[in-house]
Parts: sequence; C-alpha cells; structure tokens
Amino acid sequence: MTRTENQADYPNYLKCVERGGQRAEQPETDRPSPERTQAANEVGSAIAHQLNGPLTALRLYIGEIRQNRDRFCETAEAQDMQQMVEAAFQETERLCSMMRLITDTFEEPLYPETAAALGRDVISWWSRSGSAESGGSANGGGPAGAASSPSIHSRLTPREREVLSHVSQGCSNRQGAIRMQIGPRTFESHRARVMRKLGAKNAADLVRMALGERPVTP
Amino acid sequence: MDALHLRDAKRMPHLAKAVARILVIDDDACVSTAIQAILARHQYDTTLSSRAHAGMHALQASQFDVVMVDLFMPGMNGLDTITRIRSGSAVPIIAMSGFRLRNSLDPEQDFLGMAMLRGATTSLRKPFSPPQLVAAIDRSLGLMSSTEKTMQ
Repeated sequence: MTRTENQADYPNYLKCVERGGQRAEQPETDRPSPERTQAANEVGSAIAHQLNGPLTALRLYIGEIRQNRDRFCETAEAQDMQQMVEAAFQETERLCSMMRLITDTFEEPLYPETAAALGRDVISWWSRSGSAESGGSANGGGPAGAASSPSIHSRLTPREREVLSHVSQGCSNRQGAIRMQIGPRTFESHRARVMRKLGAKNAADLVRMALGERPVTP
Repeated sequence: MDALHLRDAKRMPHLAKAVARILVIDDDACVSTAIQAILARHQYDTTLSSRAHAGMHALQASQFDVVMVDLFMPGMNGLDTITRIRSGSAVPIIAMSGFRLRNSLDPEQDFLGMAMLRGATTSLRKPFSPPQLVAAIDRSLGLMSSTEKTMQ
C-alpha cells in the first residue's frame, strides 16, 4: 500500500489526484509525489474502512461462539473443536489489533465523507479484478450482455486476449503469469482490464464470456 | 419505562417483561446483522436500519431505548444524524466508527470525540467485541437512568 507500482492499472482518481486544482501526473520517480502519497493514504484508509465491517462482524460472532463453546463442546471429539474455536478467536483478535494499528496510522483527515465512498469504489474495482463474487453491481449492466466471441476479441488487445485465454483455461493469476512470463500483478491488472472492458462481474462470468456465452443476469 | 427495570430484565432474562429496544443505524448489513445476533442472545430487541433517513423515520415512529449510529454512511453522515436525533430526543446514542480520524485543523479532536460533542452518549471503535458491545449498551442504559434521576 505504500506505492502504486503500475499507475495505468489503478482507478482514474489515482491517476490524476486533484488537490486544489493540481493534477498529479508525474513520471515515475523513486520518491512518490505528495499527491501519490496522499492518494495511497486515502485508498489505504478506504480499504481499511471497507474491511472493518466484516472484521467487526467476525469479531462479534467468534467472541460469542467462544464464550459459549462449553455448551456445544462436551464430547471427546469436541476438544478439537474447542481448540479450533480458540485458534479462530486468537486469529481474529490478531487481525483486529492489526486493523487498529492501520486505522491509527492513517492520518486521514481530509475528506472523511469521500473516504467512505472511495472505499466502496476501490472494493468494487477490486472485486471486479479478482475472483470475488460480490460487488458486481458496480458495472451497472452495460452492453456486455449481448457479447459474443467475435466482438469480444475485437475489443481486446492481443495481450488481453492472451490473458483471457489463460483465465478461461482455469489458470490462476500466478499460473497465468508464469505462462506469459510476466509478473503476477501485471497479469492481474491485464485481467482486471479485460473484465472491465467486457463488463464481467467475476471470474466465472469472464470464462462464460470467453466461451462466447452471455453473462448470467440476476 | 425506566432503565433500572431494563437492567433487571437483562440480568434475569427469563423474568423479563420489558425488553430494551435498540435501533442500529449502519449501512453495512454484515455489521448490523452481527450486532443483532449478539444482542438477541442478551435479550435485547434490535431494529436495523441501513440508511440514516430510514433510521430517523424508525425513531419517530417508535420508541427506542438506545440508538447505535455508524459515523460513515452514504446520504446523511453519522455526525449529522446524531445532531438530528439530539434535536428531538434524549435517547442514548452510541457512535460507532472504525477510525479515530484526527482532524487536521484540530489534532486534539478526533471523530468519535466530535460525535460526543454533538450529543452521543458513548462511542465504540470498530471492530468491537461482544463484551464491549454489551458494556456500551449497559453504559448507555445506566447513563439514561442517572440523567433521569437528576432530572427528577
């Protein structure tokens, strides 16, 4: 989260972070510009904000389960379960203290209201680029519904087509990256761009589209 | 309905007649659902609202003993929500936030502190544990009874 490695793959607001009318479009240098540090900070805190919800829920559930574990853990077999509940609890607590550190670290006073919206944006971008099943509403449907194989291919660059073919063969980001002899993050960003172009909500959608099928519309 | 009675009800759930009613205003359904699940186990009756405006309507339509408000929500922000609630009601308010969010202009003042200034009764930093949640509710109910005492 400290540095944005490949600017082209990040959402638009990171490419030109506007602060007081100034655009931050600078060539890659060793030291990130203040605007980019600010952007990384905002995105970081936005992501932390998004993670905080599920983490809160997890902590509540696990805490309650642990408090009542004696009730459903009386048999010999249940001892393992008790240990697992305890371990799950410990891991959750560990995550929570990490989150506390992170949320303490971000000096994030500029636009708290926008941060929340930004967080949602980042997460939907994130889930579009990964295999997450949720958050697909960000695409707003789009014309992708009518996509068929030929038109898909005309919209993609050769590189992106290659990525798509690896994904549709069931490659993970890592496997695909190895096959193409590129970095996994680069592969991931190609894949994200393909998904964005095609309006695919998740990996399964992408595969269906690569096979020339229509995406499943809920 | 007095808070002392409510606390007794909590201690002896099987004897409980009056159950404290909690309104949770949080746009994150996974959080509010978890809160509801935990509070149900502690014999609280929880109503969920995913938007500030809907929460305000619920508050006007029905009686609640504690309101929990998330500070980051689309539409109306949590601080404004607290101000709006306070302008018409003395109901205890628990402000929830994942960030302390220090203010750049006034580093002494953090977001949860600002919520307290606007009339929140107490605050909860996310992620919180079940004991912290229940303690905050109890604290709010207790505070309500003490202010009622001073008013009498």
